[in-house]
Amino acid sequence: MNLLDVSFLGETFLALCRGIPLTLQLTAISITSGALLATLLAALRLSGNRPLDALARGYIFVFRGTPLLVQLYIIYYGLSQFPELRRSFAWPFLREPYWCASLALCLNTAAYSAEIIRGGVISVPLGQIEAAKAYGMGQLTLLRRIIAPQAIRLMLPAYSNELILVVKSTALASTITMMEVTGIAAKLISVSYRPVEIFICAGAIYLLLNFSITRLLRLVERRLSRDQRPLVLATGEQA
Amino acid sequence: MVIGAWNGPGRRVGAYFDLMGFADSGWGFDMLRATAVTLAVALAGFGLGSLFGMLAAAASLSPVSSLRHLADGYTTVLRGVPDLLVIYLFYFGGSTVVTDIGRLFGAEGFVSAPVFLTGAMAIGVVSGAYQSEVFRGAVLALSRGEIEAAKAYGMGPFLRFRRIILPQATRFAIPGLGNVWQLVLKESALISVVGLVELMRQAQIGAGSTRKPFTFFLTAGVLYLLISLASGAAFRAAEARAMCGIRRAS
Amino acid sequence: MTVAPCIAAVEIARLEKCYGPLKVLHDISLKAQPGEVISILGASGSGKSTLLRCVNMLEVPNAGTVSIFGEAYKLEQSPDQPARVTDRRQLQRLRAQATMVFQSFNLWSHLTVLENLIEAPVHVQNRNRKACIAEAEALLERVGIADKRNAYPAHLSGGQQQRAAIARALAMHPKIMLFDEPTSALDPELVAEVLKVMRDLAAEGRTMLVVTHEMGFARNVSSRVVFLHKGYIEEDGTPAEVFSNPRSERFRQFISKYAH
Repeated sequence: MNLLDVSFLGETFLALCRGIPLTLQLTAISITSGALLATLLAALRLSGNRPLDALARGYIFVFRGTPLLVQLYIIYYGLSQFPELRRSFAWPFLREPYWCASLALCLNTAAYSAEIIRGGVISVPLGQIEAAKAYGMGQLTLLRRIIAPQAIRLMLPAYSNELILVVKSTALASTITMMEVTGIAAKLISVSYRPVEIFICAGAIYLLLNFSITRLLRLVERRLSRDQRPLVLATGEQA
Repeated sequence: MVIGAWNGPGRRVGAYFDLMGFADSGWGFDMLRATAVTLAVALAGFGLGSLFGMLAAAASLSPVSSLRHLADGYTTVLRGVPDLLVIYLFYFGGSTVVTDIGRLFGAEGFVSAPVFLTGAMAIGVVSGAYQSEVFRGAVLALSRGEIEAAKAYGMGPFLRFRRIILPQATRFAIPGLGNVWQLVLKESALISVVGLVELMRQAQIGAGSTRKPFTFFLTAGVLYLLISLASGAAFRAAEARAMCGIRRAS
Repeated sequence: MTVAPCIAAVEIARLEKCYGPLKVLHDISLKAQPGEVISILGASGSGKSTLLRCVNMLEVPNAGTVSIFGEAYKLEQSPDQPARVTDRRQLQRLRAQATMVFQSFNLWSHLTVLENLIEAPVHVQNRNRKACIAEAEALLERVGIADKRNAYPAHLSGGQQQRAAIARALAMHPKIMLFDEPTSALDPELVAEVLKVMRDLAAEGRTMLVVTHEMGFARNVSSRVVFLHKGYIEEDGTPAEVFSNPRSERFRQFISKYAH
């Protein structure tokens, strides 16, 4: 097993790179749709309405307590058990692995993201919310002008973790025939029987993706936290 | 167990229990046996992970910078790469090794490595990365004052570790370990992809045989939820026992 | 010749407030005329902050009424349910007339000082943004922190933050100002600058209700002093009356404890 077979490593790397667009697409679709669903779930949980809260909690419990693979297989394989679904308008979508994977990832990340969003909202300092109320701000204005800006900043670290997890989860799409990075890697391994080198290349790609995402989000977090960092005066001393 | 001969939901429920029941034609025993395999591989993987995690945590806290970098690399890489890739690595990598050894002894063709072993090792290596962070955090959370007191009373490093650091760090680590356990449980489902007959694979077999994928995967899901619930309760009980006598900001 | 009765700025009638089984305010009645500066004193747990917070319904009383310039808050006060405000529009309107300055300043940390000042005028009172900015600049000048207009609250000292909070309250053109222990969270050196601003406001003739521990302010600046003990009003009169001839023994003890 010659790990320094640079030409093989190079070929493998290029072949795997062809899977990156699909990985990124699945990530993007599931994170954005998942965030929307998560906001709804967080709203239900924060609504103060017991049955709605229980509904959201139930959803979160089920989707966090079962493996993503189960959720994926139920959607991709399981739904075909129902003739009513096969005849419905949604079938052309539900038949495609691309949409099944996106749906499963979306539903899954929504459950984790909902708790992150909720955590962000309840971390907004109570005093500032009280001041806004005391100044006559209505619920919607309060949410839009005071709670949302601060909650978003507070939830960014946890959300960037979740984003990394979604990128890794896209690998499961390979189990339902999708040729994203892991899918291509599996095929290459079964053909060449050189799992270590292929693992190194595929792993490097994922690490690079994660690194870029973390850096990007850290930049966003820095921009949103201008108000928190200590002021550095023109002379270089801190205010 | 036959539940009536009504139409509609009653009949559906009855049919379900016929399918999953414990009669000869039922899949109940197979699913339960597969659940036991899931638990076994998860426990094995978690145990291995604890070993790797403790070693890596120790390395990450060591004054030797190369050890620290090594530990850092381990946790970063294994937490950044999909679990499925690691499973493929151990399974196919292990199989390659076993095939080569087999060829030395004259065996022909491809010999696959034992799935349970490679699966447990893959889980062990990945969960070790997460457990390392938990142990590291637990040790760092220790009050410096208590360690200083131990030093001042003449306790040597091993004694300090055994009597002061280990018991307390274990207490702090329990919640984090509970989380990692839940991750390990879900990860065990991925080993079905390389053929281990744990719960997921068994559900697939049943689904293929009876053409009822939804029923089988739903059952698998419920079983995972039950294990998850029971585990959660167990960890909370362990936490409560470990924390008794400690004041905590509630 | 009869003088036409003046509508009280704030009228509190028979107020009661409970937290579960604990009764915090008993049958409190108080009237604040326009232009009065009322200091509300009391030990911690006496209910003074709760009383103040009932004026803008941050706490809703379980019994009794609160009126701002003759308009009473519409409340639902049933015995088995938590008391609540029923008319949200009225609540927002009345709150905009009686702005509050908090013990922990509560400036909005994601907005600059200037943005803090114009936030409510623009988004609650729907006033013209440019006009609000101009006015905010003038107010900052007045409380002495004009150079901090683009700074974020985290970059200001406690005294500066509280002065900014007072300016923020003034930007709403309030008819009444409520102060909830405005100097209690400040280092002693910074208390004076805030008290100075409050003295100037009083001198202008503003209606102010101030919960405070600052005896000097209560004695020299306010037109009336109210002393609460365990939810009852034990003293209510001008500083001269109350400080020289206290009727309540507890108030005597209170003064001696806080007199420097």
